[in-house]
Amino acid sequence: MKTLGGKPAHIDVLLVEDSPGDVRLTQEVFREANRSIHLHVVVDGIEAMAFLRHEGVHAHAPRPDMILLDLNLPKMDGREVLAVIKEDDGLKSIPTVILTTSESEVDIVKSYQLHANSYLNKPVQLDAFENLVKSINEFWLVNVKLPKHSRGE
Amino acid sequence: MAIGDPGPEVISHVDALKNAETHLAQMEVRYRGLLEAAPDAMVVVNQAGEIVLLNLQTEKQFGYQRDELLGQKVKAIIPEGFAERLLADGSRSAEEALAQHIGTGIELYGRRKDGSDFPIEIMLSPLKSAEGVLVTAAIRDISVRKTAEANLLQKVVELNRSNEELGQFAYMASHDLQEPLRMVSSYTELLSRRYKGKLDAEADEFIAFAVDGANRMQRLIRDLLVYSRVGTAEMDVLDISSEAALEQALINLRVAIQESGALVTHGPLPKVMADEIQLIQLFQNLIGNAIKYQSHGVPRAHISAIKDGVKRWVFSVRDNGLGIDSQYFERIFGMFQRLHKREDFAGTGVGLAICKKIVERHGGDIWVESQLGTGSTFHFALVGKEY
Repeated sequence: MKTLGGKPAHIDVLLVEDSPGDVRLTQEVFREANRSIHLHVVVDGIEAMAFLRHEGVHAHAPRPDMILLDLNLPKMDGREVLAVIKEDDGLKSIPTVILTTSESEVDIVKSYQLHANSYLNKPVQLDAFENLVKSINEFWLVNVKLPKHSRGE
Repeated sequence: MAIGDPGPEVISHVDALKNAETHLAQMEVRYRGLLEAAPDAMVVVNQAGEIVLLNLQTEKQFGYQRDELLGQKVKAIIPEGFAERLLADGSRSAEEALAQHIGTGIELYGRRKDGSDFPIEIMLSPLKSAEGVLVTAAIRDISVRKTAEANLLQKVVELNRSNEELGQFAYMASHDLQEPLRMVSSYTELLSRRYKGKLDAEADEFIAFAVDGANRMQRLIRDLLVYSRVGTAEMDVLDISSEAALEQALINLRVAIQESGALVTHGPLPKVMADEIQLIQLFQNLIGNAIKYQSHGVPRAHISAIKDGVKRWVFSVRDNGLGIDSQYFERIFGMFQRLHKREDFAGTGVGLAICKKIVERHGGDIWVESQLGTGSTFHFALVGKEY
């Protein structure tokens, strides 16, 4: 989290999600939960890695304070993205939260084995989704203490 | 009295012999009649394993002429199992050997003259005779039964597989339906929150219907998922405390209990052999119904169990609710069956179908006793552990 004069300026969250409906909904709900969040959206695993490594159009991308990662993505799925992030010394300390509809025990176990920071199911009800986003915000973006980073260098 | 003239005693002895012979002949005629009338092939075998007598059915079934078999070893027509058995029986008393059924549990085969085999079942009984103990064997051709059994088994295998596929399909379908539905319900909900009162009254009405429809569909899909999970999930049947399962169910129901002010009580509850998750679900659905289907006053539910037989426990969930007309006692356990208008009681009609599925998977049964206006008692039986 970057601070300016002791006050949090804004928080960068990278959302890796290919469904436009989900993207929009997540934007809406995050906006209600915390106005200082900048939600950056990428639609597949390849683009997620380009964002995190500041490649191509993402040359000036910020280092996110948190990554919200869907598991089922085109080109390079969430499990692969997670594996690459957690093997990269520059990226592994970014909290990476799996946010998916999959309730499969296999996916849950696999994600934690790959060092996901937490695994969350997208609730079906809007109210429940709002509550979940509030708790993500409170825990990962407000209360949690993370090491200071100098932009992935 | 002239020499050579038989005395009166001798004459009477000869008569007796003659009588005895006649008697034997008559017996044989009768016996022969019985033998030939028997629906099974019957052979009489001596201790050496040789065929001494056989009936018409034997000729038919094995494809031999009578003369071809008389004096032959029984091994010629029953290659395995029978002759060995005769030897074993030789050392046994006639009573012990009496009417022994062989071929149950083991596969015995008869061999026809042309070398083809067919499955048989044999019933043995000893027959005392002048030549020692003979053995009568009734041989039944069980080809038809075996084929029927094999067909039945095949059908069961196919049925199980198709059931499993259906269960998987229901699960996948309801899971995948949830995804687009989440979009519909979330966005109609957002619409209603943000635009209620900002459009016209008609728009509000339309949006309300859309929200309601999406919500109902969500409940339906959630219940279908539970139902298909209950039907297909691996069960973990252990010796568990039904009281602990009930307590967990009450925790899951605490919002409904608090909101309705319901009083839920229970008597002593036993340990049972059950899958804990499913037992919790069962209590939860039954008690949830007890609390829900009420008209006025404080909802009350009482859970009890009594031992019925050595290993069977009958649980009862009694309520003071609306009660159910006896004509619906069967129907309420069916899928999507509802007795009330949606405005009166929301519901998918899946809850009791889930209960039935759970109880049936545990090898028990479920039924209801009720009178309109005085409440209902749902009973379910589970197999317990013998204590």
